[in-house]
Amino acid sequence: MTAVSAPPRRRRAGLRAVPKVVWFFLLIPAVVEVGMVFWPAVNSFYLSLTEWNGLGAAKPVGLDNFKNLFADDIFRGALWNNVIWAIGFGGLSVLGGLALAVALNRPRRGVGLYRSGIYLPMVFSLAVTGLFWRVQYQPDGTINTLLGAVGLESVEKQWLANPDTALYAVLIAAVWRQVGYVMVLYLAGLKSTDPTLDDAAATDGAGAWQRFRYVTWPQLRGVNTVVFAVTVIDSLRTFDIVWAMTQGGPYHSSELLSTYMFQQGFTFLNLGYASAIAVVIFALALIFIITYLVRATKEEVA
Amino acid sequence: MVSVPLSRRGFLAGIGGVGMASLLGACATGSDDSSGAAASATLTLQSSLSDPDPKAALTKVVEGYSKTPVTLNTIAIETFRAQLPTYLNSGNPPDVLTWYAGSVARDYASKGFLLDVSDLWTGNGACAGFSDALKELSTADGKQIFVPTNYYWWGVFYRKSAFQEWGVQVPTTWDEFIQVCKTIKSKGVAPISMGTGSTPWVASGWFDYLNLRINGAEFHRDLLAGKHAFDGPEVKTVMDHYRQLVEYIDPKGRSYSWQDAVTPLTAKKAGMYLIGAFITSGVPSDAVDDLDFFRVPIIDPSVPVAEEAPTDGYFASAKSKNPEGAKELLSYLASAPAQQQFIQLAKSSNLPTSQQVDTSTFAPLVQKGIKLLNESKAITQFFNRDSSDELQTTADTALTKFLDKPGDVNKILAEWQASAKKVLGS
Repeated sequence: MTAVSAPPRRRRAGLRAVPKVVWFFLLIPAVVEVGMVFWPAVNSFYLSLTEWNGLGAAKPVGLDNFKNLFADDIFRGALWNNVIWAIGFGGLSVLGGLALAVALNRPRRGVGLYRSGIYLPMVFSLAVTGLFWRVQYQPDGTINTLLGAVGLESVEKQWLANPDTALYAVLIAAVWRQVGYVMVLYLAGLKSTDPTLDDAAATDGAGAWQRFRYVTWPQLRGVNTVVFAVTVIDSLRTFDIVWAMTQGGPYHSSELLSTYMFQQGFTFLNLGYASAIAVVIFALALIFIITYLVRATKEEVA
Repeated sequence: MVSVPLSRRGFLAGIGGVGMASLLGACATGSDDSSGAAASATLTLQSSLSDPDPKAALTKVVEGYSKTPVTLNTIAIETFRAQLPTYLNSGNPPDVLTWYAGSVARDYASKGFLLDVSDLWTGNGACAGFSDALKELSTADGKQIFVPTNYYWWGVFYRKSAFQEWGVQVPTTWDEFIQVCKTIKSKGVAPISMGTGSTPWVASGWFDYLNLRINGAEFHRDLLAGKHAFDGPEVKTVMDHYRQLVEYIDPKGRSYSWQDAVTPLTAKKAGMYLIGAFITSGVPSDAVDDLDFFRVPIIDPSVPVAEEAPTDGYFASAKSKNPEGAKELLSYLASAPAQQQFIQLAKSSNLPTSQQVDTSTFAPLVQKGIKLLNESKAITQFFNRDSSDELQTTADTALTKFLDKPGDVNKILAEWQASAKKVLGS
């Protein structure tokens, strides 16, 4: 044993220092992950190239499912709705959450109460949120009653039964719940900013907006990555709240890719077609997140 | 789709949706490893009756069966629907399953999944005394594959005291019906309640009935089987009649589920409601005795009277390890005492298929329902049961759109035909 070979040996020794039982414990979640997450995911890629109703063997049909998908008005409507949803849900909850976080960042009397009040909807599941808002949106529900009370009878609508408003009505309910979550993320981000920088900028005569834009905002980059990823994933996986409130109706006007996929897969048992929709959702999520992460890491390096 | 707990079911469905990816995978691997340990001596009864009352009722009925031990698996209906093909196709399937008669059962029979139970329908068989209409309904390719145990009727429900207050009589013809709608509307009450919000299939009730009254049961079945076009002249006549109703339908119903739409009826804020007998489960007990119904008015007297009577029951798996045992269990479930016990414990207004059940103790409303069906010449199931759930959604889209924009009827029917063709072609 010469001194030259010592470093690799030491490294190997380091690995060996991990007790075997630890590897064993790592193996269990790895097997579970592969068996319960990756394998089914790979399967749905395969299924998207087949026609299968749950009976017998799946019949390979090549790319037919995808061809049919893009000729399908309901799918295109759902795709467009998903775009509206991603922009509306993402934009409103990020803007709202950021504004609230900035407003409630400074310690003030009762600020904790406000923060908990705004975060509170997050403790409800999306399905419960949906049921709650469905009651508010009923023809004789709170929202129409309030509008009537302030003399806006002409604005009263059947919010969830009107194809022009259904999607937005659901969107507001979802943002109502999400905004508290984004606020908490930004509050945590604001806590880690350096207050002396802000004070220094103020001393130099920077206005409130300038201080936020050029001093605080750049320091929130790390949080932004998290918020962006969370929001994109949440908006693409939105399902329960739409299902609880409209089930995609009236006549598919509030259909999202996820609700359409569910209907095709589990109501009609067109499992190949549904898998094709699932693949599209997966691809969309991946594209958004990879582009953003690549950009974010580039900025960090620069 | 025509089952009582629809909105709840849809809700459960939603919760199930979260598990999409993993479920799909589970299906793809086709894992049939449901333990083979269960000896063929024990029978498995897979049930979709997950509502408390029907579930308790079936549990009690099964407890009364002593010939073979029976394991009762109750599964939420949406999961049951999705997994049904997998159940039937697996290596060790449940022996007996609850489900619907009609095209859905025939569909499984055509794939060879269902046990031939023809011997139950002959001689001393448990189903031998059932009506011919039920037998026809349970037949696929000349063999009986279904055991119907109960069914229910549809009608226009109303409150007797409300009709008295408004001074209207039960209508029997279309013109009388429109007149009644007019009178009720003049009292500031919505004549027709209809919850098409989260349960858009309710809108198919009027469509089915108008088609049955105008074009007859034969045409209706053929239409749903794709032998006629939804934008043909016959369906246009149906929609002309439907259009006459639109102004009398409570517009708020578009936001309601079928259950929500019962409330205006009981509160006398709406006059009438075309719905299944399951409405009684949604009416407060003090109003049930005031509730009555009438047959959907006759439009063309030359068309034989047809009624919707969705039928529930059981079928057995062709791959059952113990087919004789399965048939014996089916015979027990179809027997008069078991039917009676189930209907009473489930607190439903369903009717027994066995004519030996003593119905004299049933509520007067139920007796009237039995009479209604006995007087009709043909029986249909309901839109989705006579076709498929997938075709049902094309109807939901077309009809709810029509209720919003009755003026666009031609365009809507053309779209309906196009989407129906896609469904039926696949």
